[in-house]
Amino acid sequence: MIKKSAISIAYFLGSMAILIGLWQLVSIITKAEIPSPVSTWTVFKELMVEPFYDRGPNDKGIGNNLFSSIGRVFTGFLLGSIIAIPMGMLMGSTKIGMSLLNPIVQILKPVSPLAWFPLGLLAFKDSGGATIFIIAITSLWPTVINTAFGVSSIPQDHKNVGKAFGFSTWKYLTKIVIPYALPHIFTGLRLSIGIAWVVIVAGEMLSGGVGIGFFVWDSWNGLSLEKILVAILIIGLVGLILDKGFNALQNLFSWEGK
Amino acid sequence: MTNIGNSVKFVDSANDFHKINANETSVSIKDVTVSFKGSKGTFTAIKDINLEIKKGEIVALIGHSGCGKSTLMNTISGMVLPSKGEVIANGNPVKGPGPDRGIVFQNYSLLPWLTVYKNIYEAVDSVFKDKTSTEKHELVEENLKMVNLIQHKDKLPGQLSGGMKQRVAIARAFAINPSILLLDEPFGALDALTKGSMHIELLKLWNLDNRNKTIVMVTHDIEEAIFLSDRVVVMNNGPEATIKKIVDINLPRPRNKKDIAHDPEYIKVHDELLNLLFDKFSIED
Repeated sequence: MIKKSAISIAYFLGSMAILIGLWQLVSIITKAEIPSPVSTWTVFKELMVEPFYDRGPNDKGIGNNLFSSIGRVFTGFLLGSIIAIPMGMLMGSTKIGMSLLNPIVQILKPVSPLAWFPLGLLAFKDSGGATIFIIAITSLWPTVINTAFGVSSIPQDHKNVGKAFGFSTWKYLTKIVIPYALPHIFTGLRLSIGIAWVVIVAGEMLSGGVGIGFFVWDSWNGLSLEKILVAILIIGLVGLILDKGFNALQNLFSWEGK
Repeated sequence: MTNIGNSVKFVDSANDFHKINANETSVSIKDVTVSFKGSKGTFTAIKDINLEIKKGEIVALIGHSGCGKSTLMNTISGMVLPSKGEVIANGNPVKGPGPDRGIVFQNYSLLPWLTVYKNIYEAVDSVFKDKTSTEKHELVEENLKMVNLIQHKDKLPGQLSGGMKQRVAIARAFAINPSILLLDEPFGALDALTKGSMHIELLKLWNLDNRNKTIVMVTHDIEEAIFLSDRVVVMNNGPEATIKKIVDINLPRPRNKKDIAHDPEYIKVHDELLNLLFDKFSIED
């Protein structure tokens, strides 16, 4: 067990070494137009001295920007999930639901978040609201699809239990449908939070004001590529943490293999 | 009573209150035909079946795989509705599953995310809506004790052996106190030793209830059918399966698993059933 985790840590460090090596190489080739890992590290340390300063609009610490983004992501993701889970259940439990809703899902799913942005602005008259809107509407699809799949694949054996013992609709839903579909729902949520995190950066580049996406754009305007690279690394790390967190939740709620 | 080995009793227990209410009809199957509509047209599983089952009787349905014996039993449970004819259970036409008929499924059908206790509790809760939660709790505990699983009540089905899972399924079916118990190849997946003790367990529960419960079971195991039943219904091969013959098992109860094998009546019935199931093979092979 200890040996196994030591090996995986060694692989992770190796992987990071390759990444930093490639980065250094690109930096050398571009004659430091792309900042080197060392100079980025210096800027990172500077940013970390005071990550939560607030000097009015458009001038906030990277920590403020990051947490504002995380807040928006979770708001949008939560709203999306509130729509997505019941919708997926409806699709998975009835043929009519599937036939009526599936074409809508298929048409709206590939739409770029940026295409939704003007509609959000129109609806909410506010770029913050619009950002949350585009996160909700682009991140809900994997949850819809996975929930529908989970609900529709409930084995006949489990359905028979409900039938044979006369379960009420509520009992059927809470004791059979939801527990069976829960691992699938969590798979969907995990994919959805991943999309939400990708969308936030694009959304905030348009919306401005505050957020990690805005921070990237603002750093570009201030010609600080080091800051952009720091932001990219932080975005990547937070994405990784979100994914691991949802993976842990998925395992927690999965009855399989118990 | 005879003991085999140290712990496993392969003998049906005695019951002083033995009374088969031989005159009351429990299940009445009248001209039942079941057809399924498929992509290749209509498939008729069973055709024009007539069968009367008395209260307190144990009846086994036996036949080759796919002969429609499960379908026939499912018309009693209400999981399958006849295309023609009707089934009367406890005096009422069967329109769907009901709490007067308890089902033990072939593959146990326990909900894997609920504990042993919860699996039974949810069924009890669903059937006895008027009972208080204390009453329901006691009912579940009582039935768990009956199948000797009280110490495993907080385990998930995945942590149990096949025999234990089947005992949970039986306890669940008994907990809703049905007058008719329907068993679909209940012991098919168990090893011979476990199977033997499960037969005894089942008869023990039946005796505890003064042999008032009607039991209908589907099986493909001749020995099991003879040991447990009062009558064995042999089915023809499907499609359009019918009843080939109904064989009475005139072996006195309590029955002893070891001694019964040497009983001339047992040997006679065993041969008869074997021939009924076998001639089909010899013609086709």
